[in-house]
Amino acid sequence: MSEAKPYEVLLDALDAADERTDTALQCGERVPAPWESAMQATCECLSWRGSLDNLERRQAEDRLGETVYSRFPVHARSVVVVAHSLMDRSVIDQDELKSKMKEVRARLERE
Amino acid sequence: MGRYKIGDRVTVRDATTLFHTRTQGYARGSTGTVVDTRPEWIVPEDEAFGILENGRHEPFYVVRFNQKELWPDYTGFDVDTLESEFSESWLMPAGKERK
Amino acid sequence: MSTTHGHAPIQESGQLSEFEVLELAVRELAIEKGLFSAEDHRRFSEWAESRGPHGGSKLVAKAWVDPAFKERLLTNGTEACKEVGLNWLEPTGQGTPSDYTFFYVLENTPKLHNVIVCTLCSCYPRPVLGMSPDWYRTPNYRRRMVRWPREVLAEFGLHLSPDVEVRVHDSNQKSRFMVMPMRPEGTEGWSEEQLAAIVTRDCMIGVALPRPDWTAQQVPSQATPSQAKGKGGRK
Repeated sequence: MSEAKPYEVLLDALDAADERTDTALQCGERVPAPWESAMQATCECLSWRGSLDNLERRQAEDRLGETVYSRFPVHARSVVVVAHSLMDRSVIDQDELKSKMKEVRARLERE
Repeated sequence: MGRYKIGDRVTVRDATTLFHTRTQGYARGSTGTVVDTRPEWIVPEDEAFGILENGRHEPFYVVRFNQKELWPDYTGFDVDTLESEFSESWLMPAGKERK
Repeated sequence: MSTTHGHAPIQESGQLSEFEVLELAVRELAIEKGLFSAEDHRRFSEWAESRGPHGGSKLVAKAWVDPAFKERLLTNGTEACKEVGLNWLEPTGQGTPSDYTFFYVLENTPKLHNVIVCTLCSCYPRPVLGMSPDWYRTPNYRRRMVRWPREVLAEFGLHLSPDVEVRVHDSNQKSRFMVMPMRPEGTEGWSEEQLAAIVTRDCMIGVALPRPDWTAQQVPSQATPSQAKGKGGRK
């Protein structure tokens, strides 16, 4: 397997969010944010419809989460790795994702 | 039906594979006892590539290991065990180790 | 990798987190590309969120009071589930991709304690137990439960004597497992509903044992003190 490289658009997302501060994976009592359940459903749909197998995703999460995306909080791994995998497979590209994020943000912040 | 029956001693193959597999590293090369059989399932290596329709189907077995045999430095007690499922092609009769 | 020094995290604007934006963006792009539909996603969310461990609790309580049902449950878990209204084929008609439909119930005895784990990912019997706890999905649990099970159980406060076989089930293939704990003393004459209440999620994973004085519906600090203070700990 070739050396994985992080996507800039994802690293940018980290700079605007909370960086991981723990060094070990903790068994926390943290309450997941609502978007995490939505992400879970996305993972299920991708696996169900044959775009990204759940096990494959989990393995990529373990692999990429401890290397190129190690600064990300553990609970953000699914979203980061799904985005990464879809870009790796050329299903989406960085510019598309960037502009979609901009669009989503604008929509959610609309007064 | 499958090649193994309940009570058979089997060893998990120590094959490395480039393919998607669900055979855990820690079990490879270990010997245990078949304690149950499962229906014929599609093998994960095919399933991972979406070959659901024509994928290879194989018998699966539940194998029970003594923890002390699985982990030489196991810290629990002699009675402790671990069970997991393996497809037939990942198993071989015990005593025929060294692939 | 960024070479900038570690700046303080930029405040999230309002309540909107960057990951929330990323999640929505990824989901919407996937839908636009036709990978799945918005309705698929809504259904999965609705289904996942309406699950809890109650189905599993019901199965165990029913098995405790009905030996014939217990026999059916241990023989064919998937079929027996239908008797309490749980169908492993819901909602997609083919089982969900990560919830395969081979379900086995593992019975604890005075000499055998079962516990489940999935070392490869985090397979979990969701139709009967709902979403898995966060800790179940951590490498801490997944990696260590197969290797140092008694140590991990002790971290959950569960100490088992040396003559009780601890049997770890690593659900690496298509089967899903659930533990049927032993009915505790002090529950004689209880109704099925009363019994179901003490069969909590953790008991069915195998990291805890049911107790007559604990249901996960209580606030722990307000529950009747039990073993901590010994006998007569009632306020």
